[in-house]
Parts: sequence; C-alpha cells; structure tokens
Amino acid sequence: MTGGISKRIYRIQFALLSPDEVRKLSQVKVITADTYDDDGYPIERGLMDLHMGVIEPGLKCATCGGKVDECPGHFGHIEMAMPVLHVGFIKEIKTFLDSTCKVCGRIKLTPDEIANYRAKFEDIDMATSDPEIIGMMSKKVTDEATPRLVCPHCGSQQKKVILDKPTTFREEGIKVTPKEVRERLERIPDEDLIFFALNHEVARPEWMVLTVLSVPPINVRPSITLETGERSEDDLTHKLVDIIRISQRLRESRDNGSPQLIIEDLWDLLQFHVTTYFDNQTAGIPPARHRSGRALKTLVQRLKGKEGRFRSNLSGKRVNFSARTVISPEPFLSVNEVGVPEKAARELTVPVTVNIFNMESIREVIKRGSGPRDEFGRYVTGVNYIIRPDGRRIKVTDQNAEENSKRIEVGWTVERQLMEGDIVLFNRQPSLHRMSMMSHTVRILPDQTFRFNLAVCTPYNADFDGDEMNLHIIQKEEARAEARIIMKVQEQIMSPRFGGPIIGGIHDHITSMFLLTHDNPLYSEERTVHMLNYLDIDEMPEPVIKDCKKYYSGRDIFSLILPKTLNMRFRSKLCSSAKERCEYEKEPEDKEVYIVNGRMIHGTIDEAAIGPFSGIIVDRIFRKYGPEEAAKFIDRMTRLAVGFISYRGFSTGISDYDIPEDAVSRIEEISSQAVERINKLIETFRKGLFQASPGRSVEESLEIEILSETGKVRDESGKIASAYLGLTNPSVIMARSGARAKMLNISEVAGMVGQQSVRGGRLNRGYYNRTLPHFKPGDIGALARGFVQSSYKSGLNPLEYFMHSIGGREGLVDTAVRTSRSGYMQRRLINAFEDLKVDEDRRVQDTVGAVIQFKYGEDGVDPTRSDKGKTVDVDYNAFDIENEVVE
Amino acid sequence: MKVLVWKDTKKNMESLVKNLPRKYAVDFSPRDQSIKEAYISVDGKTFTFRAVIDSIAPYDETEQNVLKKKSSPKTVFEITTLEKIDPIPLIEFKASGKYLKEMKTWNIAERSLTEMKEKEAYADTVPKDINEIVEDAKKLGFSLPLTVAYDVLKYKKSLDKKEYTHLLKRLHEDIVKKEIDPHEAVGIIAAQSIGEPGTQMTMRTFHFAGVREMNVTLGLPRLIEIVDARRIPSTPSMTIYLKKEYSKSDETVMSVVKELENTSLIDVADVITNVAEMYLTIRPNANRMKERIVAFNDILDATEKVKGITVIRDEKDQEIVVKPQQESFKKLYQVQEQLKILTIKGIPGIKRAIARIEPSTKEWVIYTQGSNLKDVLELDEVDGNRTYTNDIIEIATVLGIEAGRNAIFMESQRTLQEQGLEVDQRHLMLMADMMTFGGGVRAVGRQGISGRKSSVLARAAFEITTKHLLRAGLIGEVDPLSGVAENIIVGQPITLGTGAVNLVYKGLKNTK
Repeated sequence: MTGGISKRIYRIQFALLSPDEVRKLSQVKVITADTYDDDGYPIERGLMDLHMGVIEPGLKCATCGGKVDECPGHFGHIEMAMPVLHVGFIKEIKTFLDSTCKVCGRIKLTPDEIANYRAKFEDIDMATSDPEIIGMMSKKVTDEATPRLVCPHCGSQQKKVILDKPTTFREEGIKVTPKEVRERLERIPDEDLIFFALNHEVARPEWMVLTVLSVPPINVRPSITLETGERSEDDLTHKLVDIIRISQRLRESRDNGSPQLIIEDLWDLLQFHVTTYFDNQTAGIPPARHRSGRALKTLVQRLKGKEGRFRSNLSGKRVNFSARTVISPEPFLSVNEVGVPEKAARELTVPVTVNIFNMESIREVIKRGSGPRDEFGRYVTGVNYIIRPDGRRIKVTDQNAEENSKRIEVGWTVERQLMEGDIVLFNRQPSLHRMSMMSHTVRILPDQTFRFNLAVCTPYNADFDGDEMNLHIIQKEEARAEARIIMKVQEQIMSPRFGGPIIGGIHDHITSMFLLTHDNPLYSEERTVHMLNYLDIDEMPEPVIKDCKKYYSGRDIFSLILPKTLNMRFRSKLCSSAKERCEYEKEPEDKEVYIVNGRMIHGTIDEAAIGPFSGIIVDRIFRKYGPEEAAKFIDRMTRLAVGFISYRGFSTGISDYDIPEDAVSRIEEISSQAVERINKLIETFRKGLFQASPGRSVEESLEIEILSETGKVRDESGKIASAYLGLTNPSVIMARSGARAKMLNISEVAGMVGQQSVRGGRLNRGYYNRTLPHFKPGDIGALARGFVQSSYKSGLNPLEYFMHSIGGREGLVDTAVRTSRSGYMQRRLINAFEDLKVDEDRRVQDTVGAVIQFKYGEDGVDPTRSDKGKTVDVDYNAFDIENEVVE
Repeated sequence: MKVLVWKDTKKNMESLVKNLPRKYAVDFSPRDQSIKEAYISVDGKTFTFRAVIDSIAPYDETEQNVLKKKSSPKTVFEITTLEKIDPIPLIEFKASGKYLKEMKTWNIAERSLTEMKEKEAYADTVPKDINEIVEDAKKLGFSLPLTVAYDVLKYKKSLDKKEYTHLLKRLHEDIVKKEIDPHEAVGIIAAQSIGEPGTQMTMRTFHFAGVREMNVTLGLPRLIEIVDARRIPSTPSMTIYLKKEYSKSDETVMSVVKELENTSLIDVADVITNVAEMYLTIRPNANRMKERIVAFNDILDATEKVKGITVIRDEKDQEIVVKPQQESFKKLYQVQEQLKILTIKGIPGIKRAIARIEPSTKEWVIYTQGSNLKDVLELDEVDGNRTYTNDIIEIATVLGIEAGRNAIFMESQRTLQEQGLEVDQRHLMLMADMMTFGGGVRAVGRQGISGRKSSVLARAAFEITTKHLLRAGLIGEVDPLSGVAENIIVGQPITLGTGAVNLVYKGLKNTK
C-alpha cells in the first residue's frame, strides 16, 4: 500500500511456445485422465496434480510449497500420441503449404525474387511496425509463390493443397496428415520465414502443429464443490480429460498395430478435441457440449467479447471499498457533499498509516471499537481492522479495542471507518462523460439512501424514481489529492462539451427564483427573515419603507447571494425572443437582467440565469471568482429557492387548465373545420385534381399538406388555450421560466392533443387499408389516421386513446434502440481517441508520436474554459472594464 | 484558342519527328483554317505531342513527300515543329462545349486553360483595422488571435486609449489562463463530448433540409454514418450554387436542372422486345421527351455507347430498331436491360434536382438527390466555390483530404446543431483530424483507427481478440505499452494527465 510503483513494465513481446519450452515450463507430465481419488485427494500425474497448484485449503503446492492464495499455479503438459494442428493457425499453415516446396521446403520463388523481396522486408522492423502492413506485404509475396507448380530450387513437381475446413488438408484428394504437415513445415529454412510474416527469432512454423500440449495451472480451472459434496470440474479440465483419453487410446492402438482406419478415426477425434479445447466456436464443427447440453467455454471463449477476460476482467475490475444504494434528494446539503447512510459508513474504511504524529489520536479512535456513538447517540467513526506491517489483519471488536489500541506502532495501518469530511467518489451509470464520476465530501446521515443536492442531478443525469448510485472510498493519498484538486463537484461545474455550466438550479429552484424576482414583489420583515433563515447570511437587504413598515424586495433578497462586485447584463429566457417590449415586463428595461456591483436592479431570474447548460450567472461567477465561489452561489441559491418556495407555496392541479366555455367551443370549431378542410383535400385528390409539389408523388404531397394542416390546428388551439392561461397560472410559470415542460405540453392538456405520428408520418398501419376496423377501408381522413381532437384534460375517446398509444410506443422503441446504438458509437469513439494527449507545446499527439494537431483546437484553448466555444469573450471583458471604471 | 486534336499511331509520329518540316495528309478537312496548333494523342487517353501547323491546304495527289495518316486523305498540313510534351489529360480539352472523355479520331477542341492565380497571402485579406489591432497587441508584447481582433474592433473606437490597452492586456491574460493543460486527455474528452449527446438525439431518420421535397438523414443515424466513414451516405445530396451571372436567371437555372437530372432511356421511351424476330424497338414518347428536353438524336447518340448492336433508324415512325449482332436470347435480354438504364443525358448519380430561390439572397439554389461532385463541378454555370455535397468520401477524393477533413467537421457540426445540441467545435475538429491525418478518410472503429493501434493488447481488448493475439505471436510483435488501454490491462498508471508526469526527488546528497 505504501511505496508507489516499484516496477514498471516497458514492453511486452509476444511469441509462440516451442515444444521444448512447453516441456521446460511444465512441472508435471500429465498422463492420467482422472482428477481425484475416492478420498478426494488429487491423483498423481493426473489433471489435478499438486504440482500444478492447489485450490483446497490445507494442501500445499508440490512445486513451490505455497498454500491456497500463495501459490500462483504452475503449468503441466501432455505429450500427444500423434501431432495435431492448432486451429488458430490453420490459415497460416495453409499459406506455408501452398507457397513452399513440398520436397526441399524453400519458398517457391526464384533466387532473384527472393533477394528482391528480402531487401523490402529487411527494411521494416517486424516487432514494432504495423502488423496490417506486414500482413499485406507477405500476402503479395505468397500469392506469387502459390501458383507455381515446379519448385524453382529443386525442380520437383508441386501439388495443390486444399483445405477441407476446418482442419483437414488434402492433396489431390489424399489426406495430408498433421504428421506430414509438420514434417514439411520443419523443412522450411529460417531465412524463408520472413516472407510469411513470421519472425524466426520467436516462432517456427512446425510449432503450429502440436506435439505437446501445455496444461494450464489449476488456479486457472478450479473445480467447485457443490452443496451435495459433489465435485464439478471446470470446462477446461473436462476438455483436457477428453484429450488425454483419446491420446492414450491412440497411442495404444498405434503401438499394438490396430488397423489404419481405426488409428485415423482416433486421430481425427483427437484433432476435434484439441480444436474445441482452443476454440469451441470453430466454424464447421459442432461445439463440444457439457452433459447438460450447454456448450463448453474453452480458451477462446474465455478471452473473447464483453464477458471475456479482456473486457470484463482486465480493462475493468471489481473493487472493494465501494457501496451502492438508492439515491434521494437532500436540499440542505451542499453541492459538493454526499449523504452516506450510517450503515454504509460503518463498513467503508479509509486506511491510515500510523506515524509519530498521528499515533495518539489514532489510539483514541481504536479505543472506541467498531461501532461507537457519542453521548447523543450520534455516529462517531470507529475502526474495523488494524493491519500489521507484514500484512496480517486484526479485527477490532468492542472487546479487544482497548488492547489493540496499545499494540499499534509506527508503520501499522489502521482501517478507520468513514468520517464526515472524507473525500469519496460518487458515480452513476451509464458513465457517459467525466461528470458522471465526481468527488464529494462525506456527510454521515441516518436511513438507508445516498443523498445529494438537486443541482448535481444534471451532470449525473439522475432522478429519484429508484435510481441507484455507487460510492468509492479513496484508498491512497495520491488519489485523494487528485480527487480533491480535479474531481470535486465545483471543479466540474463547467462542462468540457460546450464550455458552459452543467450544474445549476433545476425545477423548483428555477420556479422559485422566478417568483422571487419577477415583478419584484415585496415581503415583510418577518417573511424575509424566515426566508433568509435558510441561508448562512446574517445581513438584511436594504428595506423598502411602505405604509410605515419595512418591506424587502425580491430582487434585493436575491442580490444577497450574489458576489459584491458582480456586474452583468443579459436577456432573461422570458423575454429572450422579444425585440422591443416583452409582454411580461412592467417597465421597458425589465426585459434585461441588470446587475451592478452585486445588486440586481431589474429583470427576472429564470432558466437562462441559473439553469444547467444555460445559467449565465453561474457561468460568470465561475469565471470571475472561481469554482469555490460558484459552488457557494449554487448552494445558497438552491437553499434560498427551497426556503422561498416552501414559504410561498406552489402547486398545480387539473383546474389550472380550465379555460372558458367559449374557448373550448372555439377549439372544437377550428378542429372540425380542419377535418373538413382535410376532407376537401382528399376529395380533390380522389378526383385527381390535387397538384403534386415538384419532385414528389401526389400521395406524398397530400400527406405533407394534411400534416401541415393538422399542425396548424394544434398551434392555433394552443394559442387559444394559452390566451386564457396567464403568468398567474403555475403551469405557465413553470413552462415560461424554463423549470419544466413547454407551452406545447400545456396546450396539449388544455387545448388539443393533435396529430399522432409514426416515423414522421400519419398513422397508416394496422388492418388492410385502414388503421382500425372502425373506419371504412381506404378512409384516409383526419380521424382515421390518428388526429386527436380532444385534450388530455377532457379525455381521449377510445379511438383517440388507441392512436395515442401507437405514437407513444414509437417513442419508447426509439429510446431503447437509441441507447444501444449511441452506446456502441461512444465506445468506438473512446477506443479510437483514448490515447490522444496534448504535449507541452499544445500539440496533439498519439502514442506513436504522430502529430494530430499542431495546436489543439487551432487556438490551444481548453473548451472547458472557453466562453461557450469562443476563445475569449471580448464583450464581457469590455463590459467589465467599463463598469470597473465607474466604481 | 481553338486547336486541333487527333489520335495517331506511334509509328507515324516517330517518322514525323525525324523529318521536319513535313507535309502531312489527313482524312478530314477543318472548316476553320486559322488553326495553328494541334495536339496529338497516341494512346487515346493523354496528349503527348504538340504540333505547330504552318499551313492548311487541300490534298493534291500529285504532291510528293507526304506522310499519309489514312488511305483517303483530304487535307495536308504543313507541320513545322513537333515537340514531345508532358502528357496532358483529355479532360483539359473541350469539344463543342463538352469535355473530352475519349479520343477517337480527330476533333476541333478548345483547350480550357485553367488559369492558376496565386492566392493572396492570408495576411493581405485581413482588413487594415483588424491588422492594426494585432499590431497593437504585438507592441504590448503578445499576439492576439485574429478572431479575437475582429471582436475587439468595435471597442477600439468606443474605449479611450488607456482602457483599450487595458482591454488588450486583459484579453491576453484571459487567453493564457484558458490554455489547455499539457497532458490533458483531449481525445477522451472529445469522444465523450460527441458520444454523450448521442443519447439525446432522435432516431427519426428523415428530416426536411432546406426544401421540403428533399429528405436527408439526420440525427443519430447520420452521426454514426459520419463516424463510420461510409463509402456512400444513405441520402447523398448536393447543394449547387450557380455563378453570380447565372444565379438569377430562371432559364439558365432550369436548363442546368435538366442537364443535371439523370435521364435514362426508360424515362423517355419504351423498349419493346420482339422475341420472334430477335430485335428491340425503342419507341420514344414525345411528351416525356419534351418534359425532359431530349431530342430524338440524343437517344440515337446514346445508343452508340452500347456495344455489340446494330442500330437502325426508322425516320418515318421516329423509332429506333436495335439488333444484337450476336443472335441469342441471352444477348437480346442483356441488350434490353442495358438499354433500359442507358443514360441519355444528365449526370450519373443525380436522381433528382430541384431549384429553389434562397429567400435571403434572392438567388437560385439547386438541391439534388444523389451526388456526383466531380461531374457537377465541370458544368460551366456551377459555382464550384460554393457548391456542396454531404458525401464526405466524395469531397475527400475530388477536392483532397483537407477538404475531406473540413467536410467531416461541417457535417458532424451540422448534424449536432440541427438537433439543438451544443458541442464545442474543438472536439469535432479533433475527430475530423484524427480520421484524416493519415491521408485518407479512416473510420472510427475496428477497420479504421482502432484496428491500427500500435498495441496488441489494446486491439485485443477492443474487438476480434484472438486474431490479434495469435498474429502477434507469429511476428513476435512488441507491445510498447504506451497507450491507455494496455496500461490498464497490465495494471499500471496510464500515461495521460497526472500519470504523464514524474516527480523526481534527489535526496539530501546534493544539498551537502
């Protein structure tokens, strides 16, 4: 745990194992196909021989003397009765047989050609250059040699070798046995191997025909004991048993002179077993199966794919010191805190190395035992284990706590329980960007869930409908330092995706700030104090005297949480589209938010000011005052928002969508008019008078026309409905302020749902020529094709309901398909770009040292720090200078 | 300038070169007697000889010492000089308004000399006042990017001298503060920034782009298509702008549209098969021909392209009878199929073209379904500087890899923007650069960038695990362990970010 990296691997070279090496590597020659004897003791020279390692506690490895967990396992080997081909190299063997002389073993090229090509091959370094290129060069050469029927060296006649998939070679219909194949490969001289992209320093072609098989250590293929006491062997062991059995039978048959036919059958069988031992999904042969009918998982299957060794165990690993539970919101936590349940905190530990400075304080902690509480019954950190320098762990219990506290010395490690203020990593899957894993400081809380501030829902993309999240406790000082400096939530406020804040107020925060600042309402002193009670601010804003009483304006209250030197001017979302005068402003300047020296003069705070993605105030504070201040602003803003909205109250209900009788009838009228218009269109179409738009068929043009018609009606009905729903309506407040939903959704509830669509067009599938049997075949009118005239509030009739659910289902399918497709795209992107880095000169390089960009992003600016993509925000800098001068 | 071009045998040319000046008899008579220059091709593909014609005279049988090109000479050229030149491709010559595609016998052609104008240096195109700002910054001891200088312009006027200098200094400080940290894992950040919004994109393939008659793939499928570097996009389309002088004239636009749209024989005529007599009849439809502006002769010309047939023109009925030279049903069928898809006019690959007036500029713009950048750019009326296609590979092959890089950047940016997703352009640039820095467009994935990694382990961890491992053993490949994936696999710190730097502590020895 201490120390750092003692060794570093700088390179790995791959090679083929020669039969000699296999034997040298081996600790035991396995000759018996059995595993355990009747007492459950491993049979000597069997597949579970103790020389290959131990898996049962109590036994000792016969090679290294280690016990379980100490012995790394050792290889054994099987001598094959007859050689067999290695499936993975069948293609290579074929090329060898094709392009070399069967008699003298030379490549079938003239000496001139050989010299010519050799020069080319010697130019490149085999070990480090691109294997694709080497492969292509080799293919060119061998393709030239293959068709020659006379050997240019010895002049002998050549025959064409055919590969009978998967593992049989035939020459003019006669089988070439693996033994013969091996003999031919042996004849190929070392200097010709280069043409086959084979490095003679690490590989010989005949090693691709196996005469001896390496047996993996027992640790690689442990047998498991079932509850019934029955032993169940690993798939690899099963396969090895088969191989040994057949090999033995083959040897016996050969030795006692059995008929050639029987020997060949056995030989083929051995080939089959060895083939499936390597790859049980080889094309052309049925996979070897377990007794239960399940296909065996052999070597290739172990490595391949998502569940394979590489992706599942090497690129990603399971870890200790982590926890996972359901999440829930806690508005009183800071954005950089996470609430950890006591239960979890008692299990999760932080290692502390004892030194002379912390010895005494750690003794005190150990004395408390493993489940201490203070006099009020609150959580206090305890100790679970102490670890001696030799690695032995001692469990601390309440009984031995006192005694153990005295035992520790400098150099011991104490596994202390989680404590408030610890730095931990918090993560929610899918981890699509770096903000999916941020570090928080711990708050120990009662109950069973992880809790955090609502403002960090956006970067995690979390909600509380049952989402679970993971917590990781950092175990090393370096990691802790990195987590604190670069992974803290406040450091991640700016998204590298677009250079704006990704953390900001959501839903009620926005609604609340909107209500607090829109029209600048006044609140009595008592109310104000009540609101400010939620904050860590103890000054009061400037009062407004009215009727001899002190009042405080909403904007002044909001100004309290702004930094004192902040100057800004921007358009709020509410009035963003207004050119001259916005319909929601009292005074002309109201459409612009104006903040001078930390005091908000006019305007409305909404999504554009504090929301995630757009929050311009958060953005400014982060840039001018740094992450700490930005986090502080978000903390205070969310608290003020919660305080204010819980005092003011905010809710919405079905009656909020009530619109007057005549509005309802007007909507009905326009929708029935639309249906009429559509019918007319269809009529002209039926008469053949409908004009097709250029480049489209008449049918397509009609569909487009109808779609635009239904779209128009929905917009119009929305307009009618929203004319009666003003800014006093809670739903409208939410939509207009950007807290949740769009005006469209409100018009769907109050006005009309409108046309349902599948794949961008009207509904047209189902029965023959009609969507439902309620319509006449061939009816392409509005209602027959999914036009919903009702509103959600009035309720949909059965037909409309059905149509609506068709449209809804498309959305669901779409989401399901999309997640998998975009997930794969991202995996490929990450895999392709993961090695790129910026060097000291702001160049972008890959691992080989190739320069991808001479200056990152053409200006060398970090997108995280850029102003929404711009190199610098000149306007803001100028604005800030102007205001500074005023000061 | 008009020149003569013809094809000749190598032998003729050799003898010409030897005895100059020489009279040379050919089997045609050019109407234009003023032609002074000729280009001669030997292989029918490139011109390798340039001749200067001194005089053109009708052939006189009595004349001696004449080299004959063919048996029935008509005209005699007196050639004074003949020089061997670097091969000029056929495409540089134009005969009757069309580029030469093949050289049969002779032609009067115009050599459309591509004028090579030296491009103004970039600094010269920058306005003076912008340059001043850059200079001002230089006086203060730092450089300011041009884009920033453009933004500063309006403040140069409104602020006083002191404030202006203050602003420049502040901007410089700001830029320095914003520089990316060395060893930052920009690739991963780019990949995440492009991939993450993918989850928010629509799957709805089609959308109207510009014109509602035209469908274009957008959203996630399009982004995947760009990243995959597909040979042919699922909906190739072009936006063709015309040169300023044509772009407001309705007639030119319509004629260009007609010229663009690929018209096959089957679009204007019916092909009737007479099995008993073993011939085919092409019966043009007058209405359809009019609509597509196709003349009867156009069809006749087109049929010449089909080999192995005899064409008989039936003037009276305005029909064409086609007989395969080889009498077999198989051949008959083949010819019929060939005729049906025979291009009469238009540009191959362009299925449909629609012209629209751009509301902002009141200028005609042609949108097409299908794309063929190379051929479209050859049209005289087309403004090659603004014409665009969404086929990235095509841009890369026609205009070069830098254009391809920009196409990847623009297409991906457009796709994301259309969905309302903000992604910093730096990420898209990095993606475009990564896909093209090898000189060709490479896909993101196992056939492209990922399959070419230098590390065996990284390749094995991505896809097709066993293939890479087995091959590595054969060639004795060395994994340098320099990337991210392989270091994770062996359990070492990665070489990016904080893992890229080492702390060296020299101990107390050096400090006495």
